[in-house]
Amino acid sequence: MTLQVFDLSAIRSGQAILHPTSLSIELGTRIGLVGSSGSGKSTLGHAIVDALRAQNKRVAHVPQSPDEALDPLRSFKFHWHEAERALDLAHDVSKQRTLFSALKIEDADLRKRPWSWSRGMQQRFVIAMALIGTPDLIVLDEPTSALDPIVAAKTMELLRDHLADKDVAMLLITHDLGLATQHVDRLIVLDKGKVVEDASTHGILVAPKSPAAKSLSTHRSWLSLPC
Amino acid sequence: MKIVIGLFLRASVVLTGIALATFALLWNAPGDPALAIALARYDAIVTPDLVNEIREQAGFNAGFWPAFQAWFGPILMGDFGNSSVNGRPVLPDLMSSVSYTFPLGIAALAIGMALSLPLAILSTKRPGGWLDRFAIAVASIGNAIPAYWLGLLLILLFAVQLAWLPAMGARTPSHAILPALTLGLGVAASLTRIIRSGILEARGQSFLPALSRRGVPQNSISKDHIALHAAIPVVTVFGLELAFLLEGLVMVEVIFARPGLGSFLVEAIGARDFPKVQAAVLLTALIFVVVNLLIDLFYKVLDPRIGDHDA
Ligand SMILES: Nc1ncnc2c1ncn2[C@@H]1O[C@H](COP(=O)(O)OP(=O)(O)OP(=O)(O)O)[C@@H](O)[C@H]1O
Ligand SMILES: [Mg+2]
Repeated sequence: MTLQVFDLSAIRSGQAILHPTSLSIELGTRIGLVGSSGSGKSTLGHAIVDALRAQNKRVAHVPQSPDEALDPLRSFKFHWHEAERALDLAHDVSKQRTLFSALKIEDADLRKRPWSWSRGMQQRFVIAMALIGTPDLIVLDEPTSALDPIVAAKTMELLRDHLADKDVAMLLITHDLGLATQHVDRLIVLDKGKVVEDASTHGILVAPKSPAAKSLSTHRSWLSLPC
Repeated sequence: MKIVIGLFLRASVVLTGIALATFALLWNAPGDPALAIALARYDAIVTPDLVNEIREQAGFNAGFWPAFQAWFGPILMGDFGNSSVNGRPVLPDLMSSVSYTFPLGIAALAIGMALSLPLAILSTKRPGGWLDRFAIAVASIGNAIPAYWLGLLLILLFAVQLAWLPAMGARTPSHAILPALTLGLGVAASLTRIIRSGILEARGQSFLPALSRRGVPQNSISKDHIALHAAIPVVTVFGLELAFLLEGLVMVEVIFARPGLGSFLVEAIGARDFPKVQAAVLLTALIFVVVNLLIDLFYKVLDPRIGDHDA
């Protein structure tokens, strides 16, 4: 099956920040969405999630910042139960424990509210929440930018293992080409709210066509990165 | 626990300060308190000798500090002294007037909440819609109308014209309906605006879109998240709301000729009955301090970002 969205666009304060964009995403594929800061990656991510939800597709979304994901007045426990209820799932302690230990937040106090965990821990909690169910697509908006390199690598590994035997597509939003080369087979390059390139990761790295892709690959020594 | 002790310390400091300030105000008020007491006591021509005797008796001849100590010392032991007009102990009279005022205040708050909460929720269904504008208009008018005017209006309509309800006194519970309504409408007017803007602000929270994207149903989002965030400004202004309510209570008790804290205070001030005035002011201050203490505690539970607290 293929997920398809048509003519997604976004206008903020009278300005088009996302020009009409259509995409198809094969189930089980890993796609990277790259582009410079402010190019509209998060905006496109939101638009894709909302459009697919409107088509009754199951989508999980990890926002760029935990502030956009968690209610500061509610405990982690509350968020977890709420996320399970939203998916019509019964509370599964062993699944929760597995995810938490994989993300190294198993010792943290779930009765606390977001404020009292570090941002990196909050981010990992949000990633764990996104992995509760089995969606058609999981959109991760710079999931590792608040994490240290070791935890970031572990987190990406967990994601890879978690998605390995499932028919779940992944859209990884990042401005880190190094991260993208490790984890995705297809790259979408965004520039000023427009898709300027959409090809295999290898193809774009070897022969970038658009100026945006060229500048991304020259300004990032992606081969030397740990993840 | 540490928080609680700290709050209590703060409360005692505030109360002592208020006691000192009211005493100083009364002490320095223009006019001769001894003469006023003599007039209130004998209601006839009073001789200078009599006035002097009262002055000596009431301790006005001693300095400020001895007089303050003579009054405040026993209060710490729970003794509020005797009325300087009729010589009766102040505390029982004060308590009996509170027994009229307290239920009235609670009823007014209940009416205010019962009206403002649904009105605010309805008005935010479609911000800027006709219902919203209507609610804002009603709330603004309600805020602008003083309690004495609204009270008289209600008396004219329900007691004089329709003769449905009694207006004066406090003999039966139905005597409390018009005063409670007068105050309750005022409370509702200001609460509606606060709850409305609280809800609208809570709706702008940046984490809300993520909840919908996670599949949380809209009514759960409203109930579990927006309501909690909207409650914070309401709790914050509750102390202020109480101040307006107490002010309104004094006015309404006088208009409806009800016994109560307001009438107690007005009478005592007229007679320069210092012990009574002091006791009433101190009690009001105590209510204030206790309510604000509770608000502080509640606030800390509600929003852990204020101070440190585990939920
Ligand atoms: N409410 C808004 N009003 C005006 N402009 C906005 C608004 N929200 C976003 N934008 C603009 O839209 C553009 C795209 O924003 P977006 O957050 O999608 O970028 P991004 O590629 O995710 O950037 P980053 O890598 O920094 O996360 C930015 O130029 C931003 O200034
Ligand atoms: Mg972004």
